[in-house]
Amino acid sequence: MGKLIDEEGRRVDGRKFNELRPIRIEVGVLKNADGSAYIEHGGNKIVVAIYGPKETHPKFMALPDRAILRCRYHMAPYSTEERKPPQPSRREIELSKVIREALEPAIKLEEFPRTAIDVYIEVLQSDGGSRGAGITAASVALADAGIPMKDLVVGCAAGKVDGQIVLDLNDLEDKEGEADLPVAIMPNIGQITLLQMDGLLTIDEFKKALDLAIEGCKKIHQIQREALYRKYFGTSEAESK
Amino acid sequence: MISQRGYFIENLRKEQMLQLLAKGKRLDDRGLLDYRPLKIEVGVIEKAEGSAKVSLGDTQVIAGVKVEVDRPFPDTPDKGLLIVNAEVLPLASAYSEPGPPDEDAIELARVVDRGVRESGMIELEKLVIEPGRYVYAVFVDVNVLNIDGNLFDATSYAVVAALATTKYRKYELTENGELKATDKFEKLPITTIPISITAFRIGDVILLDPNADEETLVEARLTFTFDGRGNLCAAQMGGSKGFSKDQVLKIIEIAKLKAEEIGGLLRRQVGYG
Amino acid sequence: MGVVKRKYVLPGDLIVEGNYQIISNAYRIGNKIYSMKVGMAEITNGKVKVIPLRGPYTPRVDDLVLGIIVDYAPLAWTVDINSYFEAFLPAQNVFGKNFNPEVHDLTRKFKIGDLIAAKIVSFERGKDPMLTVSGPGLGKLTRGELVRISPVKVPRLIGKKGSMSKMIEKATGCELIIGQNGLVFVRGPPEGIIKAIKAIKFVEEQAHTSGLTQNIQNFLKGGG
Repeated sequence: MGKLIDEEGRRVDGRKFNELRPIRIEVGVLKNADGSAYIEHGGNKIVVAIYGPKETHPKFMALPDRAILRCRYHMAPYSTEERKPPQPSRREIELSKVIREALEPAIKLEEFPRTAIDVYIEVLQSDGGSRGAGITAASVALADAGIPMKDLVVGCAAGKVDGQIVLDLNDLEDKEGEADLPVAIMPNIGQITLLQMDGLLTIDEFKKALDLAIEGCKKIHQIQREALYRKYFGTSEAESK
Repeated sequence: MISQRGYFIENLRKEQMLQLLAKGKRLDDRGLLDYRPLKIEVGVIEKAEGSAKVSLGDTQVIAGVKVEVDRPFPDTPDKGLLIVNAEVLPLASAYSEPGPPDEDAIELARVVDRGVRESGMIELEKLVIEPGRYVYAVFVDVNVLNIDGNLFDATSYAVVAALATTKYRKYELTENGELKATDKFEKLPITTIPISITAFRIGDVILLDPNADEETLVEARLTFTFDGRGNLCAAQMGGSKGFSKDQVLKIIEIAKLKAEEIGGLLRRQVGYG
Repeated sequence: MGVVKRKYVLPGDLIVEGNYQIISNAYRIGNKIYSMKVGMAEITNGKVKVIPLRGPYTPRVDDLVLGIIVDYAPLAWTVDINSYFEAFLPAQNVFGKNFNPEVHDLTRKFKIGDLIAAKIVSFERGKDPMLTVSGPGLGKLTRGELVRISPVKVPRLIGKKGSMSKMIEKATGCELIIGQNGLVFVRGPPEGIIKAIKAIKFVEEQAHTSGLTQNIQNFLKGGG
């Protein structure tokens, strides 16, 4: 056994291999935005605003048959252990792109030709798995904006730590572990919309990690649902049935 | 109304607001010198050495402090560094664009910075590890999350509350002059709590804490920062129409009283004095 | 043709399986029909729709809308109609066929910031919505109060054959001009206006609850 998982199989924060960190989602937190959401996922604290659909500026970017989706994932300078300069890093630009591509399959962009939909994801505090938490919150914010979607999108990672496949890596596990596999899915439809990996996994380990990540996404989907139910129906899903 | 063209209100509402203001009233029933509900939460970002979230009505601002070891400026080898940076995030309104801070955000950061610096809130002399070589650099980054008027005051309270509750890791020099992190955390050397109050002029009416609707009517703006000991330590006028001298003097009196009220609240929230 | 079944839905929720016609805010994969919005799904005989709880206003021809003049050019005004496109009102529609940009001054008719009631004449792919102000009750609105509600709640505020808005008008002595785009103009005695605005906001908040008509009746009786 290594230093990240003890003899009883407990991880550095006391979790079992298939356990998520605490997650809390709030809907409609910013007055000016067309839709918004706030998520705490482990140490991540992320706020998301949706503006749109709206006229596309600059105009030449507009598409005649559908809306364009734009996404900015950004980390506040105080969100990390060491201060991060405010201008977007290469990592943030890459994540903005993959998050956009993770959300895009769920959105009925063809309903709003020539318009733009902006997704602003601001990481106020970062921990492992911030892209997944950002996607989870962004899809809730899109639903809050009333943008037509085929499904919600949920993000969660699995990975390998001390030789074991574990769910939902925190910062330390992400940095010191052997592999990280962030995944996003459309849970009702069963489509995978984001998949990245870094580190080393056997093919069997990869399959196991992918299954675990999808299982985690499905659990987080329930938390998304509860947040939307509370906000819009004033009740929990179980009570409404 | 927030349109993609910037902040915009219809003439009907404009006339209605002007009629009310002439009678000393406001659309939301506040008196001219009343602030909206002010909420200050500290310690909201655990990873930051200090942090605060301020809501002033629907204006929301968050400030985070990071403290690092750095080299001092050559002309002040025996002082720590204080850097205040403000950004209005694209989340904050339909017309806030992503990108580097514009002139408004830079003015905002500089006015808040001046209030903190000139009040002597932080004893920068005490933030020195070895003069000329190692000092602590205090970075305050403040982000506007939602705009609904009076950004100067909301931002200032967030920055002051974050600094006043900052705890940073102490470093020391080893015998051979190398820098070493210790396990000790200390509060910043705070000497006072500065308070900024901004007054706005619409016609002959002076009011405090306008919301975004009211700000569309504002002709001039004047911020005074008090050092917490009864002195003025920073001022900044803005807008394109100015004030009479009498108005300026009247605003000082108004602001002084209001600074005591807000100062009391802020000091309680940060546990200072 | 009564409602067979109602249920809360979120995007991606399965509403029903089978051979149903989709009316709005739902989509089909094979035999299964899913929701695209947060809202209330209604399954009537052979038909499925989702009444959304949030969403933007999509212009439709013949809709009455309220808008704010935000700009003007030599030949038309630009109007914010609380949608993802700004609308335009051709000067010819106001000054008639003999409109001459060298003679007629657009600002003498409508100024920037003016509120107007208008109808949507056309809205086609690739073209911004076009408005008209010719018609009874259309044109500039003055002496009253503008209230904004979510556009998706407008049908509830109007009610069946205008029953809800008529009830509010009767109880408050005010006139309501309800734009399909969520802008509502209230005209009448000052106390009536305050009460009417409260009632409008009440309808907006309670729009998806059952017994809304009864609740608003009690609300209006209780003096608001």
